[in-house]
Parts: sequence; C-alpha cells; structure tokens
Amino acid sequence: MATTIMLALTSVVTMPSRGAEVKFGYVTSIYSDDKNIPLKQPEGVACDGKSLLLIADTGNGRLLRYIFKNGLLEAKTVEIKSPKLFYPIKTEINSKGEIYILDRKQRKIVRLSSEGEFRGYLNPAGIPPPAAFVPRSFTIDKNDNIYILDILSQRVLILDSGEKYVKQIRFPRQYGFFSDIAVDLKGTVLLLDGVNAVIFSAAINSAAFSPLTESLKQYARFPGSLTTDDRGRIYVVDRNGGSVMILGQDGAFVERQSGFGWKEGRLNYPGQICINVKGEIFVADTRNDRVQIFTLVE
Amino acid sequence: MKSLGVNIKYATLFTICMVFSLVVVKPAFPEGKFKLRPGAKGRVCLKCHENFKKILSRRYVHPLIKRGECTGCHVPHTSSNKNLLTLRSTKLCQSCHKEVLPEKARSTHGSVVEGNCNKCHDPHGSNNKGILLKSGSELCFACHQDLNDSVGNLRFKHKSLEQGKGCLNCHNPHASVKSDNLLRSEVPTLCKKCHETNKLTFKTTHMNYPVASSDCTACHNPHGSNKRGMIFDVAHADIVSKRCTTCHQKAPSLETKQPPSQLCRECHKTMANQTFTKNRVHWPLVDSESCLHCHGPHATKEQKLLKGPQLQVCGECHADTVELQEASKKNPDNETLCQPVKTGNCTTCHSPHAGDNVLLVNEASISFDLCARCHQWETHSTHPIGEKVRDIRDKNLSVTCLSCHLACGTGNNPSMLTFSSTYELCIQCHVERRR
Repeated sequence: MATTIMLALTSVVTMPSRGAEVKFGYVTSIYSDDKNIPLKQPEGVACDGKSLLLIADTGNGRLLRYIFKNGLLEAKTVEIKSPKLFYPIKTEINSKGEIYILDRKQRKIVRLSSEGEFRGYLNPAGIPPPAAFVPRSFTIDKNDNIYILDILSQRVLILDSGEKYVKQIRFPRQYGFFSDIAVDLKGTVLLLDGVNAVIFSAAINSAAFSPLTESLKQYARFPGSLTTDDRGRIYVVDRNGGSVMILGQDGAFVERQSGFGWKEGRLNYPGQICINVKGEIFVADTRNDRVQIFTLVE
Repeated sequence: MKSLGVNIKYATLFTICMVFSLVVVKPAFPEGKFKLRPGAKGRVCLKCHENFKKILSRRYVHPLIKRGECTGCHVPHTSSNKNLLTLRSTKLCQSCHKEVLPEKARSTHGSVVEGNCNKCHDPHGSNNKGILLKSGSELCFACHQDLNDSVGNLRFKHKSLEQGKGCLNCHNPHASVKSDNLLRSEVPTLCKKCHETNKLTFKTTHMNYPVASSDCTACHNPHGSNKRGMIFDVAHADIVSKRCTTCHQKAPSLETKQPPSQLCRECHKTMANQTFTKNRVHWPLVDSESCLHCHGPHATKEQKLLKGPQLQVCGECHADTVELQEASKKNPDNETLCQPVKTGNCTTCHSPHAGDNVLLVNEASISFDLCARCHQWETHSTHPIGEKVRDIRDKNLSVTCLSCHLACGTGNNPSMLTFSSTYELCIQCHVERRR
C-alpha cells in the first residue's frame, strides 16, 4: 500500500568523475512484491518506455510486473510464473508488450504473452547451419527484430518480428568473451566483450564487427551488460566494480556512476540495465537482492 | 742559392724529427678525460685493486678491462652509483649492449629487462665463455631450481638438456624475437631441427597422423617426463593408449568427430549430467570451444588436464579478480588471508563447470555454508551475525561474512575488508560514530 515513493526524494548518487555531463539521481529501490516476498538475486530488468517495468527475479524463478509512472511506483505487482520458466536472467519487451526471457538453466529464450502466458520457446525459422544455437544474450530493436548472441556458432543471429531469419553477423576474429548485445536507435549492433572490456559495433548494413572502443579496463573491472538510450549513449554495467559506465555513441568514455556497496544508490554485482525515453534507469542490483531506479540528471 | 739549399735541408731534418717524436715517443700529455699520468691507464687502479690481476688472468675478460679502460664503467673519484659506476648498475650494461633486448622481442628474460646482468655474468671476467658465472644449464638452474628439481627426477629427460649448450640449445638467454618462452624459434620448427618428421618411426609413433606441423608441446613435455615419449605426466587416457580415433577421424585426417561441445560429453557423461542440469552453467562451457577453454585435450602438466595452474586458467578471463588477490597476498596486513586465496585455489569455493548459485559458488549461502567450512563465524566477533540479523543498509540482506569481507581479496585493504580500515568499515552502518 505504502510503496509509492515520491520522486522528490531524488538525490544525486555519483562517484568522483571527470568532466561530468550526466549523472544518476537515485529515485527508489524495489525490495519485494506486493505480498512482501523479497526479491532474490534479480538479474534482469526491462522497461517499455511508458510505465511498464518487468523484473526477472532470478533466484525466485519468476517475473514481476510493476507500474512506474510519474516517478511513482504503484503498489500492485503481478507475479508471472510458468512451469517452463526456471532461471530468468534477462528479459525484453517488444512493442506489442510481448515478453521474451533468457532462461539460463535451459539456455533458451522463452516467449510469453503480454499477460504472461507461456507461448513457447524462440524457435527461429531458416537459420543457416548449424540449426542449434546457444543464446548468451539477446535484444529486441524498435521494429521488434530480435538479435541473438549465439556463442555456440560465434555469430549474431538477426530475426524479424515473426522470428524468421534475416541475417547473421560473425563474431570478430579477436575477442575475449561476449557477454551482452544491444542495438541503438540507428540499428547499430553493439557487442560487449566482458573479458577485454571492449565494445564492438556493426552498423545497420554492415556484415562485420569492428572495435568501437579500446579496452575500458581503466574504468570497469568486469563489464557484464550494456544498453543504449534514445540519444545513442551507451551504458555499460560493471559487475565486479558495481558501477555503470556511460559512453558517447562514438564509444568515448563520458562518466562512471554509482559504485560498489550496499547502501541505496550503490550496486553489488549488477545485472541487466534498462533506460526508457523519460531517462528513467532501472538496474538489477543482483547481490543486493533489489532493483534500483535512477533518473538521468544532465 | 746555397743558403736556401741549407735551409731546406734543416727544415726537412726538423720535420722528420718532429714526426718521429710524435709517432715513436709517447706524448707527455695527460690521458683521457680523467687526465691520468702518462701510462697510468689500467695500471693505477690495479695498484690498489690487486685482486683484479687474478681476474685478468681468467680465460674470458671484458674487452674494456683488457684494454685497461676501467673508466668505461667506473668513475675514479665520486659517483652517485654503487661501486663508483658511471650509471646505475641496471642501466649500465645496456648503454653499450643494446642488442640484447631487441625492440620487437616476443619474449624477454626477466633479469635482462630488469638490468640484472650480473645474475648471469661477471662484469670483469670469467673462465666461462660470455663471462658467465657458471657454464651451461648449471647457470640457468641456479635460479630455475624448481625446473632442475623436477627434471632431475624424471625417467625420460630431453637429451638436449644434457648435451651441447644445455638449456641454450632451445632457449635464447636474453630475448627471442621469434617465439614465446625465449625459444630460439617457434614450435614445431625448433623441434624439427633435431627430430626428423619424415622418418618412418616418427610417422608410426604418431599413428600416421600428419602432426609434423602441429604444436609438439600439446602432448610432449619439452624438458622430460615420467611417461615414455616425454608425454606430459597428466595425459588423456586415450593418448596414452594411442586410441586417437576415440575423438579424431581416421588418419590422415586430424578432424575431430564432433565439435568439442559434443565430443567430450560422449565419454564424460557423469560430469555432463551433473553440469547441464544446474541453474548456471559456466558460459564458456557451452560455446564453440567448450571444455577446451580450460582443459588440454591431449596432455598437460596440471591435474585434470588443466591448461595451466588453476589461477592462471581462471585469470585468463577473471584477471581483475586475480589482480586483487595478488595485491591481497602482498599486503602485510593480511596475515590471516583466506587459504584458497593464498594458494590460488579458486575451486575451493567456486564450481568451475556449473552451479545453482550466483558466482558459481558451490554452497547456497556463501557465508553460512561456504565460509563456515573453514571459519567458525559464530565465534568470530561479538558483532551480531547470522541469517536473522538484518543488514541496516539493505533490508533484504542478513549480516554475513561478506557484509565486511570480500572472499576473493580486496587489494590493499587489511584482513580482506571491503574498506580501507576498520573505522571506515564500521561507520558504514554506525554512522553516528563518524568522526
């Protein structure tokens, strides 16, 4: 009932930084559902740009749907559970509200309706051999095209909204290990090499990836996930460092926000990050058993 | 006319005398930049440093000393460097011997990079070629004692170690532009200098597989081993029994029957069943390289066919964590450093293949189950700790070992604390105590 929290409580939470352009303002944290069942090591978080917020509550093997509107979190939550969903670690919502979840235990992408009903596993038609793929991560662009980071065959599979194969882009020759994928509004595909802390990019019509950045190790210990905002800025989550790096669309380092810790505004082994058009930022604060909400302060 | 002829005669005589005096008679000017008395060069020093007469009688003497140019390296009066050297000892040799560290070296000897040339050379003279302190492999083993110990007890030693130049048959002492590990050239080019791959015995020994261009060290220990053929001591059973076709197509094809992600599971069913039913499979295990990220398929030095020591293998990807551990190890305030961190044994706490928990830790609770294997956290301090004690910084968390410590090391912080001092740690919760 009393879970609505005023945006007025917003405070700026930032690490010492150089040439600050953007900062995270702390808004609130989500610790539990409306039945007071605590979140357990949530790794995924998705937002639709309006008011929908979806949390992959990994340790509890469920999804939670919240409404976050005008800076306020509505009290009612919807729990989504399915016998076909075991260990959700990443989630995305397409323009129709359909839900896609990466299940780490099954290493499959689960499809749910906007109401949370199981619709099957992502089963792309017409992909070049081998037909099998292992999705390390995935993302969905503004046209509902699906991008799968297939670590089994070292490629990015691009499917249309009907899950039909469109094209594939091979991984570059030299890389450490890819841990996440994102697509910006221009259609540029970004790959995050967590081991070397390097981002690779492939423009919309490109057939190959090339490095967008040099190693970002001086800013991040072990980057694990990334996303972009509507201005093309890139947000990279540093899992071991408990922070978020902000880069320009050219890959240039801009800012490092938050930092390792337990207090609100601090992060401990964060997972997925989501940013909506209103500049609201949602971070799965995995080892703090919560999701934190920030706003972008420019 | 006559007087002119006499003058010319005298002038010629005078010129001849002058030239003779310059050529034959030593000049009566001070020598060199230190203005030593004529003839003093190389002798003045020896008047006091008598022991150098003995050094000069050695078979190999540094050319500067041979020429009596002690001032090539030493300043006779005062110097800021030890032993009155002209430069710091670590810089001195390389000021002339620049060639020992080529710009494009692929591997370099640590002592050379550090400029500790006198670890191997006597700078004045020696009875060993290259003014080395000892001859052959004996010199190398003075530092690489572990290698000497391990090789000494082996049943099958590489003959090269005991013949000719010993270690230097294969390694360059200073740097190598051609290969890693200071090797004189890449493997197998280096090996093929002695081992003829065209011989029938070579082919039959290798089951007619075309391995002439393969990496010999994928199976063979170049120094020696206890297994015939110098196969690494830890060898895949199918290698030892020469059942290559368990994994590979029939010779001459080197192709494997399936990609590694499928192939290994064919035999290692128990491991596969235990691994692939867990919540979290270590991601590299399910990509194209699969098991081969960490394990060698043929033979290695390490237990469980690991490609290298555990810390090295894990550190290939988790370098940031290993770096913190290493810093923690060096910190004198970390006397009670966690044993697995000390020994680099990551698998004491983590399951390398898969687990049900975040960070692939092999217990549900890091503190109450995992740390408790070795530490009696209940008696650790008077601070409330346990599942029922809430962390005031985060209502979803209990006060656990990890509320104050980080198990993998915290760099320069004492006692593996997450903050730089006990005070900094305590005021995180006890803010009223902040000074």
